[in-house]
Amino acid sequence: MKARVIAVAWWLLVAAALLLAPLALRDRLPDPLATHWGAAGSAPDGSSSFTGHLITVEILWTALWLVMFVLGRRGRHLRAARVTSWSCLIGLGVLLLGVNASTLAVNLDAATWHDALLPGWHVPAALGATVVAMAVAGYAGRGPADEPSAPVQAPPRLKLRRGQRAVWVSRVVNRWLLAAVVLIGAGTVVAATLQLGGIAPEIPLPGILPGAVILLLAGLASMAVSVTVSDTGIRIGFGPFGWPARKIALSAVESAWAEERHPADSGGWGFRGLPGNATIMLRGGECLVLRYRSGGRLAISIDDAERGASLVNALIAERVRT
Amino acid sequence: MLLTLDLNDARPLHEQVAGAIRRAIGEGSYRPGDRLPPARDLAAALGINPNTVLRALRELRDEGLLEFRRGRGVSVAGRADGRALLAQRARELLEEAKKYGYSRDDLITILEDLT
Repeated sequence: MKARVIAVAWWLLVAAALLLAPLALRDRLPDPLATHWGAAGSAPDGSSSFTGHLITVEILWTALWLVMFVLGRRGRHLRAARVTSWSCLIGLGVLLLGVNASTLAVNLDAATWHDALLPGWHVPAALGATVVAMAVAGYAGRGPADEPSAPVQAPPRLKLRRGQRAVWVSRVVNRWLLAAVVLIGAGTVVAATLQLGGIAPEIPLPGILPGAVILLLAGLASMAVSVTVSDTGIRIGFGPFGWPARKIALSAVESAWAEERHPADSGGWGFRGLPGNATIMLRGGECLVLRYRSGGRLAISIDDAERGASLVNALIAERVRT
Repeated sequence: MLLTLDLNDARPLHEQVAGAIRRAIGEGSYRPGDRLPPARDLAAALGINPNTVLRALRELRDEGLLEFRRGRGVSVAGRADGRALLAQRARELLEEAKKYGYSRDDLITILEDLT
């Protein structure tokens, strides 16, 4: 309840500042305003009318706030979710305030929008203020530490007969990431072909390529996860080819269970958290949770997790302790 | 997909793998339309040759249990046939009976007494 009041108050505060500051300075601002600066230099390359700018900024802030507010309502009981939610909510507000303050400052007393030159320190200053605000908001909103969640019910068990070899294989694919990887890959190939073929030599290929390759590799590694449980241990394979892989010895695991978890609980999609309380989150829903003997835990979003957990427990009981 | 193989089973390995997959589907861990893990993954987990797993998958496809689609891998086509599942259980029961010294006819007598 208190969190909601603070979030709404923050929305009002930022919305009011974004509205009132330009109105107060209206007499000293050109119309249209310079609102966009190119990557190349300090001269503006885009403008917008005074009213249009006000409306755009207010809509942008409200939309971002709504998304953060709705997303932030899930997983409030988890510290990682609270930290993410507060730092995003406050950080985005500070970013918009910073950008708006910079826009007003450069437009102030300019004859036309073409004269609104952007000093080089404005963008780093706005980003720096955002990062600081995110850190402070995340720290202030972290709340009490998570209670160590004991498995809700007894961990599932499975009976293994003597002389039986049992394995469990499962995988999960994030279709959105798969689509993104295909798009990035196709885009890179098209851009490279156009540039190298001399059709569009203005494409800055050396500038694009490293970023595209990093995005592709990161996307490939996190679009699919496969987990194999057998008497040789637990193997977590990343990417469509199950490589690179991480192996966990059965003797390092204390117990396993299946749990419903969502990206909001762990702070988003992808590889989340720190060693000791990490989550491999490709989609919300069923997760396999392993608790290490050292006390840490690892959660992996995967289909058919209940059966996998039961085999892990059976293997630990019969192959490790005896 | 949870698969169990009996290391003392004398049947050919591909038959055992087919049986294990049939059982996994029959137990409801996979519904029609669900995709199976790649044969490569299954083979690596079981520590057997991928071709053995492929042979088992082909057998199940011929049974109508699985369907192969180009580029989409192997998916479950239909519910596990009740008769095929029963036949498999019966075969296991027979193996078990032999272990205790009962013959096939003894088992049939036991089944007849059940009604």
